[in-house]
Parts: sequence; structure tokens; C-alpha cells
Amino acid sequence: MRISVIGGGYVGLVSAACFAEMGHKVNIVEVDPEKVEKINSGISPIYEKGLDNLLSAYAGHSLSATACYDDISDSDLSFICVGSPSQKNGSTDLSMIESACISLGKALQDLEGYHVVVVKSTVPPGTTESVVMPVVLEHSGLHNLKLGFAMNPEFLREGLAVQDFLKPNRIVIGSSDSNAGDIVEAAYHGLNAPIIRTGIQEAEMIKYASNAFLATKISFSNEVGNICKRLGIDVYEVMNGVGMDPRISPHFLNAGAGFGGSCFPKDLLSLIRLAEMVGESPSLLKSVIKINDYQPRRIIELLENRIGNLEGKRIAILGLAFKNDTDDIRESRSIVVISELERRGAEVSAYDPVANSAMKKIFPKLVTKECASDALRGADACLVMTEWPEFANLDKQFDLMKSRVIIEGRKILKCKGVEGICW
Amino acid sequence: MKRISVIGMGFVGLVSAACFAHKGFDVLVSTHDPKKVEMIHAGKAPFYEKDLNPILAEVVKKGNLRVIAGRREAILDSDITFIAVGTPSKADGSIDLGFIKSSAKEIGEALKDKDGHLVVVKSTVAPGTTEEIVKPAIEKYSGKEVGSDFGLCMSPEFLREGNAVYDTLNPDRIVIGESDKSAGDALEEFYREFYGEKCPPILRMSLVAAEMVKYTSNALLSTKISFANEIGNICKEFGIDTYEVMRAVGMDHRLSPHFLRAGVGFGGSCFPKDVNALIHKAKEIGYDPTLLKAVMNVNEEQPKRMIKLLERKLPSLKGKKVAVLGLAFKNDTDDIRESRAIPIIRMLLDKNVRVSVYDPLANENMRSIFPDIEYCTGAEESLRNADACLVVTEWEEFKKLDHEFDVMKNKVVIDGRKVISSREGIDYDGLCW
Repeated sequence: MRISVIGGGYVGLVSAACFAEMGHKVNIVEVDPEKVEKINSGISPIYEKGLDNLLSAYAGHSLSATACYDDISDSDLSFICVGSPSQKNGSTDLSMIESACISLGKALQDLEGYHVVVVKSTVPPGTTESVVMPVVLEHSGLHNLKLGFAMNPEFLREGLAVQDFLKPNRIVIGSSDSNAGDIVEAAYHGLNAPIIRTGIQEAEMIKYASNAFLATKISFSNEVGNICKRLGIDVYEVMNGVGMDPRISPHFLNAGAGFGGSCFPKDLLSLIRLAEMVGESPSLLKSVIKINDYQPRRIIELLENRIGNLEGKRIAILGLAFKNDTDDIRESRSIVVISELERRGAEVSAYDPVANSAMKKIFPKLVTKECASDALRGADACLVMTEWPEFANLDKQFDLMKSRVIIEGRKILKCKGVEGICW
Repeated sequence: MKRISVIGMGFVGLVSAACFAHKGFDVLVSTHDPKKVEMIHAGKAPFYEKDLNPILAEVVKKGNLRVIAGRREAILDSDITFIAVGTPSKADGSIDLGFIKSSAKEIGEALKDKDGHLVVVKSTVAPGTTEEIVKPAIEKYSGKEVGSDFGLCMSPEFLREGNAVYDTLNPDRIVIGESDKSAGDALEEFYREFYGEKCPPILRMSLVAAEMVKYTSNALLSTKISFANEIGNICKEFGIDTYEVMRAVGMDHRLSPHFLRAGVGFGGSCFPKDVNALIHKAKEIGYDPTLLKAVMNVNEEQPKRMIKLLERKLPSLKGKKVAVLGLAFKNDTDDIRESRAIPIIRMLLDKNVRVSVYDPLANENMRSIFPDIEYCTGAEESLRNADACLVVTEWEEFKKLDHEFDVMKNKVVIDGRKVISSREGIDYDGLCW
């Protein structure tokens, strides 16, 4: 099939590369000319495991990128993969979706066959039907006999996105009519996964509910971890027993400093705003956010319990990315920790294997180091914020500290004398 | 083979005792209640639990299970004693340890004359109870020391009412909290003998961690239900089918598809009690458990929502007749503890509604709480001339209801469990769908 992917960001790139791997002819529409050039020369503009290999294999053959929408009317399907960031009040900013729909609509004016517009971006329930459909129809001048619409959320984990795309737990396709849904389903032909056909709003909600639920499991574990720590119980031992119940599943039960990243906090906040808009007060979802906001403050509390006033103290932070295997720092718990430390007059020296420069954009004065030892040298205390595997075996490096006070927000260290945020 | 005694003849105690005996162990249970002795001798449990009576009859007949009057004899005549007495909730959410304390005392007094005994707490008790209450009581009354003279373990049960026999014989995992290694070894040996080749994974840990596993498991299952209900409430406002949403959500291997059915909330003798006890324990140690409180909050709101939905259909409820179908906290049991039907009936009565109810098993139990409402022997009888119907329990037989609704005066049906399948000709509304 001929597939257009609108937006060469993380989701768009991974989807496009994987569709090419599945034998489709794919064109990425990306407004940034620098990214277009990189993609066309087979280099990934972002770090994601396995993506470079796919891009270099298919760029110039079945995968291309352009800055304009001209070729869209030649394709069977277009996937909208542009960003849908949070606004300050937690609601979703749909301006990129809207402008993509306007351009898409105009480009489809000279459409000859049948085309399906598929929303892959995470959008609040109702968006596809009340924003995407009317805008595309208006600007294309077409009626919905020639255009189909579908909503097909992604469930990609950063660091595992290629694998998640090609080996998904399930493929969710919400469509306005079965013909449109059938065409989207055909694009996924060959993947061994159950396909769930639903209404469009249901598909939009599935994405939010999935992320909200995963976030709930994390906050639940953190709350139980906070209780366990006070009772002197190892929460990991507890969760190991809990997770063996098949009604629960053992994943996402790791207590720690909380969740970050570009999805969980954002999706949870928009779901809360949406619920409030229809007159609901979602107390459980709000408590999930509240616990997540508390965890980084909790680690500062523990630090103060250990070394007292933080003014003038040197604190080493190990790990800046919101999780391991990524340079993404969006909503990373380290951000909260660093700003709390700075506010209290502590001197921070940080180290992350790949996210140093990203964090410097937020904290220009932040001192970053090229290795853990350099960050630890002379520090009064150390906070471990990301579960990078390379941190697991740190031990004698901590001897470089002025005093060996180590508090970890992720259960990763193996050496002795470590305090955990929940253990 | 080790000889077993079980203290407590409630649901957990009797099911465990019957299953132990079923696998060939000699099991002694004791009760001071002659009526219970007689029932068990006749192979009948004093409560309803699927598959229990046949096993009970078999083990009593074979002589593997014996009921005696004195606890002391039962303890002295066995190698391992399981404590499976009740730990009911007090008004503040904490648990009443009266039965636990008296059991520990009796065990202590018996152990004065016996060495090498293993005591296992199976009752659900707040973290710290085994170490801080059971252990010192046994030591005090026996004059002996844990570790050297007797062993102490905490091994929580994960039984579902209605599936308890199956769950005892086929658990997902065995949790052993231990006072010392030899106590844990002895209990592990017993379980390995009991399960044979089909032995599930056995997790060994401290006493307090084992207590926490039980609370945390129930709290997380409750959290899933309240999460599903909260999403369901939002979905309902958007006109989205939450069951379709949760089907896809549950396919994520990190989540598991169970306990995602939106509805009128959870009841029973475990979830509300255990979540409240955990909340109470957390507060006691200076931690405010936001999420657990929200889980309970959502659960308490669901029955109120059902009444609100009813009032949207019937603005004035005064003098109306409302049929409540289902009283048990879930299907396949006569247990009404914390059933969502209770707050629902109470709210209806507060609004001067005539309530007529039907449950296949739980009518009699509910009579002790609401003696003056109308109890019916079938769904149709309770629906006759009713202005509305609320479905509160997911009994299999309710799935087939259809022409029975014809006898209603006003065919408003509000389903709290997504159980009614035939929706033609009635004014149907689901609580979250």
C-alpha cells in the first residue's frame, strides 16, 4: 500500500520505518527541512533503538520524506502523527493537529480514488469526529464517500518502539465505517496481533485509559512503598508476591521516584480535564498525579533527614533522562529534584549517559559531568534518579564522595549502604 | 505426614481444613458450638461455598477430618496449627484482633506442654500483628521462645468466595512469612507435600512482608475496580462504551484483563475491610494514603450514582415501588457483607420507596438488616407492578431475564453490573455504559 505519514517526530518516524519494513511504500511529510534531509539520507533525527537500521535500509527506496503535502493524494492512507502537547491547564493543544488537517484537506482536493485519514496522535475523545473530520472535509471539498476516517492509537514505549510496533499486544482501530477500518487493518496485514475494531471515540479513550491505568499502577506501588518504608518492609518483596496474581500482572509495580516522560503525565492531566469538563471529579486519577508530584519531594525530605540543611551542600545527581535508554527528559523526576535543590541553595553536579545536554537547556547553570565518578567527587550526598544499567555496579566510585550518603529513587544499585526512596 | 489443626471454622478455616484432609492429612478442627459439630459430621458446611460439601462429606467419612470440642486437645494432637479466625473491621477501619488474641493465648497455654510445634497465621492481619501480638502472646502463655521451642509463620490465603476450594488446590503462589528459617522450612515442606508435583512458586519472606502482600493484593484489585468505575463514569458522559475500552486496555500485557468491569462497586468481607485497614495502618504511622482513600471514595459513590440515575428517570421516588435484583455482594454466594445492595436499599428507604427484592441465595441473610422490605422468591414476583428495577448482582440467571420485565408498571431498568442482555421493550440504562 502507499502510506503517507504526517509528522516526522518520534511516533511518525517509527511508524513510517516499520510500515516500510512491512513492505509498504511510505512518504513522511515533515515541515522541518533539516529533518527531511536527515531522513532521506537514512539517518534518524532521534535516538531510538533499531530505528537507524530501518531508515538506512529503506531511505531512498520505499521510504522518503518531503516538506510538502503534494503526494498525499496518491496514497491510500495517511497517518496523522503530529504532536498534541499539554497546555498549562492540562488540556490538549490541538493546533498542530488542526493545521495538519488543513494542509491535508487541501492536498486531497484532487484525490481520485478512496483515501483514509487515520489519526495516530493521542487526542481527547471526540477530537477525530469534531475536529479532524470537519476540517479535512471542508478543506478538501470532498464528501465522505471518497474519504474515510479512523483513529488508530499507538502504544509505543520509548527505547522499545520498533519492537512494540512490529510485535504489538493488540492493534486498536476505531473507524467511522467498516470500509475505512478494513483499509487500516490491511496496512497492518502480516503482524501477529489481535485486532480490536471499535468506534472512533472508544479508540481515542483506549489510549488514555491504558496510560492512566499504567500510571495508576506506578502510583499505587509508590503509595504502598511509602507505607512499607515506614514499616521497615521491602516493597519489592511484597510486589513480587502481589504481581504473581494473574489478575494483576507483575509489570509496573516498581516503587520509586515516580513516572515522567511525554505521555503519562500529559495523558493523565488531559483525561482529568476532560472528566471535569463533563462534570466529573475523578478522585482516583487526581490522587495518581498527587502521589507522582510528591515522590520527588519525598526524596528531598529523605536527603534533608540525612544531611540537614542543603544550603551550600554538593549533591550529585545520577540520571537525568525520564527513564533509561533515552535522552528524553520531558517531565523527568530529575527536573523537580534539581529545581528543589537549587531553590534550597545546593550545588548540583549531574551525570547522565546521554541526557546531559538536554537538561542544560532547562537548567543552563547546571554542572554536568562526563562520568559518574566526576559527578560524585567531593559530593555530600548522591541521588540516583534514572535506572541506567551502568549505575548498577557503581560502588567504589562512591568513595570519591565527601560522605557516602546515597539515596536512590530507582532500585538499581547493588552496593551496600544505600537508602531507597521507598525501601 | 504432619498432623494439622485449624482454629476457626469460618470460610477460610473450613475450606483449608477440608482441602488438607482431602489430600490425606489428618486434620483436627475444634468448635464449642454443638450445632456446627453436628453439621460438619453430616458433611455440611454451615455456609454456602461451591464444591465444599462433597469434599467435607468425603473427608469426614474417611476420618481424615475430625471435629472436637476442645482446642487444647486439637493443638496437642497435631504438629502444625493454622489460625484462621475472623478479623472483622471496627468502626474506624482498623481490625478487631479479639479472636486472634484469644487463639494465641490458647495456643500458648497448650504449648506449655509441647515442643517443636509450628503455628501459622492464615487470618488477614494488619502488618506487624504476627510479630507484635501473636508472638508475644504465645511466648507469654507457653513460657517458651519462638525459634528454639516453636516456629511461627504467616501465610496469607488468596481465596475467592465461590472458588475457594479450587483456589486452595490451585493457587497462583504460596507466600510464607517466617519467624526463622526452620519455621519457614517446616511450612514449605508441608506445602510441598500437600501440592506434590503441582507445587506453585513459594515465596519466603519476613512475617510483616507476608502480611503486607495480602493487603496490597486486595488493595490493588480494589484499585483496578475503582479505576474501571472512574473511567466508566467518564465514558458514560461521553457516550463511550467502557467495556469496549477496557477490553482493549486489558490486552496490554502490563495490565491483565481482569477486574476491569465497571459497575456499582466492590463489596464482600475482604476488599472494603482490607483497604480500610491499610488506610488506617498508614495513617497510624503518619502517612496519608491519597490513592487508597480515592479507591474507597469511588466505591462509595457508585451506589449513589445508581440512585441519581434512577431519579433522573423517576424524578419523584416517594411511594414508588422499586425492585432490587441481587443482594449478595457477588454471584454464587449468599454472603451479603458490604454488598452494594445495602446502601442502595437504605437510600431507597430513606426516599420512602417501597422496596421489593430478590436474590437466589441471599434473601434470608439480608432479612437481618432489612426485616421490613418485601422478599420475593423469583425475579418476576419482585418486578410485578414495579416502577423501576435496579440490578445489583451479576447472577447468571439475571442474564436471561426478558419477558419477566413485562409485569412492571414502568419498565425502567438500571443495570449496575452489565448483566441484562435482552434490552428490547424496556427503558434500559447502564450505570457506566
